[in-house]
Amino acid sequence: MKKNLTLAVLLTATATAAFAGPIEEQIRFRQSAYSFAAWNVQKIKNQVVDHPETFNKDNVAAAANAIAAVANSGLGALYGEGTDHGVGWKETRLKPEFFQRKDEAIKVANIFNEAANELAKVAATGDAAAIKTQFSKVTESCKGCHDLIRIKE
Amino acid sequence: MKVTIHIWDVPHRLFHWLLAISVAAVYITAKIGGEWIDWHGRLGIFILGLLIFRIIWGFVGSTHSRFVTFFPTLPRIIAYIKGQWQGIGHNPLGAISAIALLIAVGAQVGTGLFANDDIAFEGPLFNFINKPLSDKLTSWHNTTFNVLLALIVLHLVAIFFYRWIKKTNLVVPMLTGKKQIPVALAESITTSHANGAARFILSIVISSTVVWGVSDGIARLYSPQSQQTSKTAPTTQASASF
Repeated sequence: MKKNLTLAVLLTATATAAFAGPIEEQIRFRQSAYSFAAWNVQKIKNQVVDHPETFNKDNVAAAANAIAAVANSGLGALYGEGTDHGVGWKETRLKPEFFQRKDEAIKVANIFNEAANELAKVAATGDAAAIKTQFSKVTESCKGCHDLIRIKE
Repeated sequence: MKVTIHIWDVPHRLFHWLLAISVAAVYITAKIGGEWIDWHGRLGIFILGLLIFRIIWGFVGSTHSRFVTFFPTLPRIIAYIKGQWQGIGHNPLGAISAIALLIAVGAQVGTGLFANDDIAFEGPLFNFINKPLSDKLTSWHNTTFNVLLALIVLHLVAIFFYRWIKKTNLVVPMLTGKKQIPVALAESITTSHANGAARFILSIVISSTVVWGVSDGIARLYSPQSQQTSKTAPTTQASASF
């Protein structure tokens, strides 16, 4: 009886571990994802907000597509159990209460997804003014998750 | 018998109220975030200019603006505790709070110059350091804010305390620059106002230069192109597709 119980517990543990992936890896991949998104966000800001005379339609469209790709890549898979502690490229700043507030987190994450997808659509048109407007919605949505689930150091 | 004297000069009062408005605005823009973070940065640099101006004015301004007049030295503090301090401008306690506020704002601005928001904002001096160090300074920027907030609350409480308990209105002198003091105290004043305009212009020029240098000048001299290539579009057709 005891042997079966131990076996059951062990199997469940390995199953969950294998499904979620090692903790540090999840943290590292999501940190990379946001860092890559930040590069593309800054490219758009540079060409559309700070120095509009350097606006390059294709470059901005590519950057917007990259941000949308990050948003649509299913980052939720990188927020498994226990990923509120650990070092990816650096110590994670995920708040422990994330796991209790998953519904709210999904809501703000979807706001980012929608804003990013819309930006990719608008960027394809090359209309700098429209891009600028939608761009500010995207950067605003970044703050949504930061305020909700990221520890403010 | 009371007599009206001029205590806070125009530059000093301008500085005080511009700082109060700027601090409120800089806080609001930080809270909103998004595209307003750029205004947060600009206001921060403006506050840097105000601080530089105040420090210079503390040496070349009129009597009661000068640090030498009100700086809380140990003898002054001891006299104040004994109830023997006599003066017209800041008493030692007021002096300590004023200087504490200046230091706190300075720390906030100083860390902010190097900070980043992990999205699209970088402080004007971000390129002089790396991201890990900037993250650390950003963290300090968040911590020093709490200290500054506490000091601002204390400042406001003190103003109310003086108004309602000690029956001394501190706001009116900071608006009009005039204060009513006993005649006996007035006879000890030796205020000099010569060349005030020249000193003011000189102070403005120096603080403006610092502001320009921080926001634009240093970046221009420090070969900005190489700093920007990761964010600028490629200029040749060949590199465009790589």
